[in-house]
Amino acid sequence: MTAIKTLHILNKSPDHPRAAKCLEMVSREDGLLLIGGGVLFLAAAKLPDAGKLFALSPDADARGLGHLTGNASAVDFNGMVALSLQAQRVISW
Amino acid sequence: MAETASVTFTLVITGAPYSSQAPQTALGFAQAAVDAGHRIDRVFLYGDGVHLASALCAPPSDETNWSEAWSQFLADHSVPGVACIASALRRGLVNETEQKRYELPAANLRAPFEIAGLGEWVEGRIKSTRTLYFHAGD
Amino acid sequence: MSTLIMIDQPPYGAWTGREALDMAFSLAAFDQPASLLFTGAGVNWLRQAQEAGGIGQKSVEKNLSAAPIFGIEAILADRSACNTYGLDENSLIEGVTLVDADAVLLTNYDHTAFAG
Repeated sequence: MTAIKTLHILNKSPDHPRAAKCLEMVSREDGLLLIGGGVLFLAAAKLPDAGKLFALSPDADARGLGHLTGNASAVDFNGMVALSLQAQRVISW
Repeated sequence: MAETASVTFTLVITGAPYSSQAPQTALGFAQAAVDAGHRIDRVFLYGDGVHLASALCAPPSDETNWSEAWSQFLADHSVPGVACIASALRRGLVNETEQKRYELPAANLRAPFEIAGLGEWVEGRIKSTRTLYFHAGD
Repeated sequence: MSTLIMIDQPPYGAWTGREALDMAFSLAAFDQPASLLFTGAGVNWLRQAQEAGGIGQKSVEKNLSAAPIFGIEAILADRSACNTYGLDENSLIEGVTLVDADAVLLTNYDHTAFAG
């Protein structure tokens, strides 16, 4: 498993201004975990360009996007806990 | 049964129940952290997140009562739940001490939540392995 | 243990900005290094000559001016957001440092947080 410098946890939908800023501040060494409305990025034409992309499966499932993970890896809450510890730092957007 | 887990979390909830998903996402995370053998050092309610500590939420019976669910979790795992005093007083969340101090007609803080200052967040942020925030979405 | 508090919501319409300031001041009060970063519409907190009496609020301009006295390390503002909102050295309050809010900036802090 490659190291994650910063884990960005994004719960804003693609149209939210904070989502745009988050994507600007993600580097290739970072991880991006989509939760809440953030999982709607899975339905967008272009997936965010992060080093590693994850989506919280209960949130994706709730929005009918459970099957649409593209190059995003699905994680459950156990996975979210593990990712938050694996990264050097965590930012909740 | 001494809990000797070295990994600790401070969870900060800033989104209110029923106007955001923040309290339920935070609860899912907290439950998973405890299941993995980690310790939740404290839960800090800030801004609109203080509404989670209301004893007066009465959602329809087929909806989850997030205030009740969180109180149960805090009690089951002996996790301190702290509502920021400045956020709480502005938004009408008071315990009996504050009720008397400000001569208010009622107190509405749900046990085991407590009211304290931002110093609780600062301490959690210093001591915990990770401090995570659960904000409102859109 | 340096902390960056980010503010991206515009002033007066929401309380989040004020509560973000309280977080930074609280860190400083406990001798923890803290800086503020204003991005997006949040940069409008930094405009000179705010008169909030007419809407029944207190201007935060004075609080921000006092930030260095209370031990806040830096007040940073995203350069491109300042351009968007017509903020330059003539219209910004004193003591603001313009930066590019990017991935590199974040690596200077071991903790970054929003108030809500």
